[in-house]
Amino acid sequence: MSASRGVRAGAMGLVMVVGVVAFTWPFLVTPGSELSQLGHSGDASLLFVLLMALLGLVLLSEMSSGHLDAKGVAVLGVLAAAGGALRVLSAGTAGLEPMFFLLVVAGRALGASKGFLLGALALLASAFLTAGIGPWTPFQMLCCGWVAMGAGLLPRSSGWTERLVLAVYGLVSGMVYGAVMNLWFWPFMGGTAPVGAGFVPDAGAAANLHSYAVFYVLTSLAWDLPRGLLTAALVLVAAGPMLRALRRSLRQARFDAPVRFATPS
Amino acid sequence: MTPRLGSTPLPRLLHPAAWWAWGVGLAVAASQTTNPLLLALVVAVAAWVVLERREVGATNPLVPFLLVGLFAIGLRVVMVGLLGGGVTGRVVLFRLPEVPLPAWTSGVRIGGAVTLEGLLAALYEGLRLAAILACLGAVNALASPRRLLRYVPATLYEVGTAVVVALTFAPQMVDDAARVRAARRLRGHTGRGLREIGRLAVPVLVGGLERSLDLAASMEARGYGRVVRRSAASTRFAAGLTLVGLLGVVVGLYGLLDATSPAVLGLPMLVVGVLCAGAALVVGARRDPRTRYRRDPWAGPEWLVSLSGLVPAVVLTAGAVLSWPGLVPHQVPAGLPPVPLGMVAAIAVAALPAVAAPVPPLLARSREAAA
Repeated sequence: MSASRGVRAGAMGLVMVVGVVAFTWPFLVTPGSELSQLGHSGDASLLFVLLMALLGLVLLSEMSSGHLDAKGVAVLGVLAAAGGALRVLSAGTAGLEPMFFLLVVAGRALGASKGFLLGALALLASAFLTAGIGPWTPFQMLCCGWVAMGAGLLPRSSGWTERLVLAVYGLVSGMVYGAVMNLWFWPFMGGTAPVGAGFVPDAGAAANLHSYAVFYVLTSLAWDLPRGLLTAALVLVAAGPMLRALRRSLRQARFDAPVRFATPS
Repeated sequence: MTPRLGSTPLPRLLHPAAWWAWGVGLAVAASQTTNPLLLALVVAVAAWVVLERREVGATNPLVPFLLVGLFAIGLRVVMVGLLGGGVTGRVVLFRLPEVPLPAWTSGVRIGGAVTLEGLLAALYEGLRLAAILACLGAVNALASPRRLLRYVPATLYEVGTAVVVALTFAPQMVDDAARVRAARRLRGHTGRGLREIGRLAVPVLVGGLERSLDLAASMEARGYGRVVRRSAASTRFAAGLTLVGLLGVVVGLYGLLDATSPAVLGLPMLVVGVLCAGAALVVGARRDPRTRYRRDPWAGPEWLVSLSGLVPAVVLTAGAVLSWPGLVPHQVPAGLPPVPLGMVAAIAVAALPAVAAPVPPLLARSREAAA
């Protein structure tokens, strides 16, 4: 069993490495490499979209296959339904996505690996509900998974400190999510990005980072800041009772307690 | 197995994977060109097939997708007009007042000369995005992604079940939220504001989780979600294949990113890795003893539809690799884009399902009633 767990951890790590590269390749590419030639025509974005669609399936199957029982499936399904419903209700309000509140709180209660699955599935369910499946879906699934996973990885704390830590995390993750999500289509914009804010394949990492920062401030900050603030405010107001309710229900969901026989004395 | 082109096949729902292959193929074709005439043809083909073959009562995401596409075009044109773009032309249409900026924003400008070539480039790029969106909207309208869920490989069985549970419970949770909100308003609360959202979330979530435990118990009683025991050898084989595939992908990406690495480490390695990872999914699914209830057949019409989407993808990708004229029109100086007849014919092949694919049953019945 431990060997298969090692294999699973290795596979997950490798897929995450590919995922990080799929977002950050504009800064990693060296001038003159094959990818920088592909980057001129926008084909590099197409390559990463196809790659992420396949590797997303591999990751989901590695994380779930064979060790997710009926309770796990039902609890994940219901939490993903809540996330999907929140996203459907908030569709059309620019950047105000209360789904992030659920991801942060539930990721905290579920822990890192189940939290990742929840983030990915909540996004997938919302994409199914709004019939909005597209090349962006695998990237969004990975990002939402990271948001929920990060909440599970935060240091152990309780009471008000936990709430404050989660609120700060919600603010940061709401903004970082936008910064990371722009990256998948930024190179694809090619010549129509604003002057000084476009991707130039041969320019090197520092110049591209600078132009990306300009691009982010020009286009995306106005959407991401409200999302971060809303998440932080919701966490401050409602995270305490939500965490209590979630932890109680998750404890109920563990029906098969280990049976031990004590020798009569 | 050859499709009978002369007579229309009997009314039935097509295999959803066939529509998705068609739509993704058309979207890949659209991503390869910036010729506005070809892109407009892609949108027209997608819209015509949706008009002819969408099942009665299915949601029509094509319209919102088209609106988002129009918005994307407008946004790009306005942005290029205000902030300038990568294409600098000679024909200056008008000049906007320029805003002086501090030195650290090197290269950024706001306002200034607006050129015809720059605006046209923005229009073409926006049109490309709109055409890709139209293809995806068409596919979402023709075959609901929910039907695709039945065909996930068996290695993704648990995840597929969780998504089905989520899709079933989401409308109930919206109802629950409305009920809790109505109850709070009856007690004299406004039902608005941040604090209210928190008060609403807890009862809805707790109710949902309690229902999920009932569902888990009934699933357990009916044998759903059982962990399938596989032989150690097959598990080891699939895990090894996955790991080898992923390692190949990582090494291949490194080869693509680094200019000094040998060419073998790049694309070939990536392709081998992807094939191994895909094979691991299929191998895992083959060993799975679960059966499926009433699967859709994959027959002649499915081949016809999926291949008719692949034809434009292959032709236009080959055209991009071999840089055929007409695929990416010259933008400086601005001129009328050419009409490459071969590629027009390739895209027109994708319109074949509008006449040759089987009509969905409800649509066929309503057409009979109207006739």
